Amino acid sequence: MSHVTMTQNEETRVGVFVCHCGSNIAGYVDVAAVTAYARTLPGVVFAQDNMYTCSDGGLTEIKTAIKTHALERVVVAACTPRTHEPLFRDACREAGLNPYLFEFVNIRDQCSWVHRLEPEAATQKAKDLVRMGVAKARLLQPLEEQEMPVEPVALIVGGGMIGMTAAVNLASRGFQVKLVEREPELGGMMLRLDKLYPTQDDAQPLIQQRVAEVRRSKTIEVFTASTLHAIKGFVGNYDVTVRDREGRLSSFKAGTVIVATGARVFTPHGMYGYDGERVVTQLELEKQIADRRLQIANCNLQPAVSNLKRVVMIQCVGARIPERPYCSRICCTTAIKNALELRELNPETEVYILYRDTETQGTRYEAYYTRAREAGIQFIRYSLDHPPQVGEGRVVVYDELLGAKLGIPYDLVVLSTPLVAQEGAHELAQMLKVPLDEHGFFLEAHVKLRPLDFATDGVYVAGTCRWPSHLEETIAQAYGAAARAATILTKEHVTSSGVVARVDESLCRGCGRCVEVCEFGAPALVEVAPGIKVARVNPVMCKGCGACASVCPTGAMAALHFTDGQVMAMVRAALLNQK
Amino acid sequence: MTNQAEGFQPRIVVFACNWCSYAGADLAGVSRIQYPPTTRVIRVMCSGRVTPGFILEAFRLGADGVLVTGCHPGDCHYISGNENAVVTVDKTGRLMNVLGIEAARLRLEWISAAEGARFARIMTEFTEQVQALGPTALKDTTL
Amino acid sequence: MNFDEILRQTRADLCLDCGKCTGSCPVTRVDPTYSPRSTIERVLSGRPEELIHNEHLWACLTCGLCTTRCPSNVDYPAFVVAARSVARQAAVEGTYAHNAVMQELMGIMALPIRQKRTGWLADGLKTVTQGDDFYFVGCLPYFDVLFEDLGVVSTDAARAAVRLMNALGIAPVVSDDERCCGADLLLNGDVQGFRRLAEINLRVIAASGAKRVIFTCPEGVNAFRHDYPAVVGALPFEVVHLTELLAEHMDALPLHALGETVTYHDPCRLGRYLDVYDAPRAAIRAAGATLVEMRANRENALCCGSTGWVHCGRCAKGIQTTRLHQAQATGAQRLITACPKCRIHLSCALKDLDIDIKLEDVTNLLCRAVELDTD
Repeated sequence: MSHVTMTQNEETRVGVFVCHCGSNIAGYVDVAAVTAYARTLPGVVFAQDNMYTCSDGGLTEIKTAIKTHALERVVVAACTPRTHEPLFRDACREAGLNPYLFEFVNIRDQCSWVHRLEPEAATQKAKDLVRMGVAKARLLQPLEEQEMPVEPVALIVGGGMIGMTAAVNLASRGFQVKLVEREPELGGMMLRLDKLYPTQDDAQPLIQQRVAEVRRSKTIEVFTASTLHAIKGFVGNYDVTVRDREGRLSSFKAGTVIVATGARVFTPHGMYGYDGERVVTQLELEKQIADRRLQIANCNLQPAVSNLKRVVMIQCVGARIPERPYCSRICCTTAIKNALELRELNPETEVYILYRDTETQGTRYEAYYTRAREAGIQFIRYSLDHPPQVGEGRVVVYDELLGAKLGIPYDLVVLSTPLVAQEGAHELAQMLKVPLDEHGFFLEAHVKLRPLDFATDGVYVAGTCRWPSHLEETIAQAYGAAARAATILTKEHVTSSGVVARVDESLCRGCGRCVEVCEFGAPALVEVAPGIKVARVNPVMCKGCGACASVCPTGAMAALHFTDGQVMAMVRAALLNQK
Repeated sequence: MTNQAEGFQPRIVVFACNWCSYAGADLAGVSRIQYPPTTRVIRVMCSGRVTPGFILEAFRLGADGVLVTGCHPGDCHYISGNENAVVTVDKTGRLMNVLGIEAARLRLEWISAAEGARFARIMTEFTEQVQALGPTALKDTTL
Repeated sequence: MNFDEILRQTRADLCLDCGKCTGSCPVTRVDPTYSPRSTIERVLSGRPEELIHNEHLWACLTCGLCTTRCPSNVDYPAFVVAARSVARQAAVEGTYAHNAVMQELMGIMALPIRQKRTGWLADGLKTVTQGDDFYFVGCLPYFDVLFEDLGVVSTDAARAAVRLMNALGIAPVVSDDERCCGADLLLNGDVQGFRRLAEINLRVIAASGAKRVIFTCPEGVNAFRHDYPAVVGALPFEVVHLTELLAEHMDALPLHALGETVTYHDPCRLGRYLDVYDAPRAAIRAAGATLVEMRANRENALCCGSTGWVHCGRCAKGIQTTRLHQAQATGAQRLITACPKCRIHLSCALKDLDIDIKLEDVTNLLCRAVELDTD
C-alpha cells in the first residue's frame, strides 16, 4: 500500500449488529434508533438489532447476513472487545470473512452503563461510536496470521518445590525441560522448613523425594548455581542463555517459560528488638525447632526438654502497614504450626500469639485454628494503634478484646514477617518483558480469566513469586502452569496475531527509529543494496503496539489494524456529525 | 466556570490504550460509575501509537479537548510505549502553543485496568476543565 | 481541470518521447522503475487513471531539472502538481511524512487562530508592527519543535536574517498572524487549502502596510511570485529573497573575511524556479569564504531529495546521500544553503552518514562575517 485513500471506498459493504444485551444496553440506549441510524451511514448495507448478539442465535444471524448480504465488513455494537472480540472474529471466519474485517463498538461499558441518567445523550453517544466504528471498518484490511514452529522445550526459572513439580509434570508428558536454579542445591524455601501445616508432616522427605524425581528424569536438564543470563525470541522460539557462578554460559532453545522463583521472608531489622537470638523470625524459630529435634534424636533425650517457658509470637510484623499493605496469607497458619510444635516439644511451654486478625479460611484451616486454641495457645488481639512493646524480658501488649494492658514475660519472641518479592525479580521481569505489581510480585494477565498466564504469550507463572500462598495452592499452580505451557508445547506451530507492523520498503529511509523504539526486537535494518538499508519486521516478534509507526518519519511503517488512515477516520467520524 | 459555559457540552476525543485505560473504562462501566457523556473513545493498542497528527486532526475538526490515556509508568504492556506518549503529548503541546491553542485542551493521564473510578473521575474533571475554557475557536467547516 | 487541459497547459502534449527527462531525473537514478517520460506517455495514451492510482505520482520532487533540459519545454513539475489535484478529487493522496503533522498544521493555520509564532525573537532585534518591509518567516517556529531531534534550530536563520536587515537599516514587520505560505499544500494538489492560506497572508501583509516582503525561505518567495497571483491576483507589494536584497547592499555590511572553505547547495526554488544563482554566491564570497562548487551546481544542481512532506523514502535518502557525498568531495568545511527545508532534509540524511561537514544557512554565515551574534 503505497498511497492512502483518505476517504472511504463507497463500494465496501458493511453490516452493523446492535446488541440489546438484554436490558443492559436497551434499558438506557434506544437500540432501534441506533440501528436505524446505522443504516444511514455510508457503506452500511445491512443493520439489525439482536437481544444478545453473542448468543448462538446472534452469531448465526451474523453468519447468515454475511452470506445473504455479501457483507465485506462486520461491526458489532455491544460490549467490550476485551472479552468478546474472539467470539465475533470466529463467527466472521466461519462465514468465510477474514476475522480482521470485524470492528467492535462498545456501547455498553461506554454508554448505557455510564450514562444511565441521560438516555438521550447515551443514545447520541452510541450513534457517534457506531459512526466511528463504521468509518474504521470501511478501511479495515484482511490480515494474515503467521505460523511458526514450536521448540518443544520448557524453560523453568526456579528450582524450588513449584519449579520442580512443573518440571516433573512436563517431563512426564514427554517434553524436554531446562530447570534453572540460582542456589547450588535444588529445593528452594522448602529446604528451610521443618514441618508443614496443617498436617504437621515433615517437609524434608517431601522435598527430597521431588529432588530425586528431578534428578532421575532423563528429560530434565538441571542448571544449579545458575541464573538466566539472556532470553530473546517469542512464544515457541526462545533463545536462552544461562550463566553459572563461574561465568560459564550455556545456550539452548525453548518454546515456553515458567517463572517459579518464589519469594523471600522479610527480615524485620530494627523492629520489636529483632536480634536473631531472643527475638527471631518464624523461619529462624523453625530452624531452632528442627535443630532441637535433631539434638533430641541424637542424644536420646526425653522429648520434653525444651527449656522455653514462655514464647510470644507477634503477627503482621511489617505487613498490612501503609508501606506494605498486603496480607502475606501464610503467617497465621505458620505461627499456629510452630506454636503446636513448641507445645509438642514441651507441653509446659506457654505460647502467646499476638494478632491483629486471624486469617485461617477454609475447612482445614479453621479446624487447625480451633485445634491450636484447644491446645492452650493464647491468642491476644492487638491493633496498630497500640503495637506490642518488646522490653527486657517482657512484652507489653494492649489486649483489644479485654481492653487492658498485659505484660507477658518471655524467653523468646517470634516475629511473623511477610513474604516479600524475590531478589532479582525486577531484572527477571525486564528480561522476560512481563510486569510486576507494586510490591514486586509477578502480575498475571487477568486475575480471574488468566491467573497463571502473563499477558505475554508463552510465559507462565506459579507459586509465591506471584503472591504469598499455601504450599498446596502453589503446587496446584505448578500443575496448572505446566498444563498451560503444554498447550504451547503440544503444538507444532504457534499462530501470531495479524495485528503487526508492516514496512513499505519504498518509503523506508533506513533511519532505524523503529528499531530503537521497539522493545521486542521485531524490526531490523537489512541492507538491500550497497549502502541502502531498509527496515523489515518479523511479524511473529511484533506485538502490534504501533510505536514504530508513530515514530517512523516517513509513513513507511504501518501499524496494521490501527493505521494512520484508520485512526484518522475515527477521529473525523467522531467530530464530523452526520445526523 | 462562566455561566455561558454551564450549558456547553464539550466534544472530547479520548485515546485509550487497549491494556490499561480501555480496560479502566470497561471497569467504570461494570461498576456503573456515571460520568458526563462528552467523550468519544478511540481504542489504540498502546498510548505510544498516538501521534501529533491524530491530536491535531481532532483539534482541526473542532474537538474542544483531547485526552490521551495509557498505562501507568512502568506498567506499559509494551514496556515503554507510554514513554513515547509523553514525548508525543509534550511535542504536540509545544506545537499547540505556537498555534495559539490553549494547552489545557490537551491532557495525558495514566489509568490502569483496575481504576474504573479514576477513569470516570478523569472524564468528569477533564470535561469541567474544557467547559471552563469554553468552546474551541477552531472548526474546519470546509469539509 | 481535466487531463487534456493539463497536457496542453504544461506543454506535455508536445512531448517528443526523447527521454531526456528520465535521463536527468534524480529519482530515476535511485529508482529505475520511475520515469517522467513514461508517466506522460501513460496520460497521452489515454490512461490517466493509471497515474492517479500509482505511487509514482508522489515520487516527483518537482525539482525541475527535467524541464531545464526538455527540448519541448514541457513543464513536468506543473504537470505532476495538476495531476495530483485530480487525484485529490478522487480522494487519493500521497503518504505524508511525520504522520501528516505538517498537513495538520497547514490545515489549522487556515482557521481563525491567534498564533504565538514570534517567540523566536531575541533581545536586540529591531522589528515593527507596521512598516514598509514585512519579513515572511515561514514555518520555522514549527520546524523548531518538529526537528529538535535532528539538532536543527531553524529560527537561527530567522534571527540572523533580522540582524542582517537591522544592519542594513531595516526594521521589518514580524507578525504573529502570518500563515504558512501554502506551497506544500499546492504541491500535493490542494488548491483550495492553498487559496485559503494565500488569502489570509495577503490580508495580514496588507494590514501591515508593507511595500516589500522579504523571505529567507525560497518556497515562500516562489509561492508568492509564481503561484499567489493565480489565486489572489497581482500582489500589491514587491517579493524578494533576502540574498537578493543583500546582493544589492553588500557594501553596507561591515564584513570581515571568514577565511574558510564552503560549498553552496542551490535550492530548486531559488535556482531553477527563480533563477537566483549569483546572489547567494556573491554573499558567500563577500563574507570572505572560499566557495568551491559541487559537481552538480546551479542549473544542474541536485535537489535536497524531499518536497511537500510527501513520499520521503528510499529515493529521498539516496539523493540526499549523493548530494552530501558531492559536498564532501569538495573538501569544504561547511555546506551552505539558502533554504530552511533543504537544511532539514540534508541534516536528516547526514545523521545516518559518516560525513564530516556542517550545514549552515547563508544568513548565519553572513552574520558570522559581520561579527554579529548568530546564536
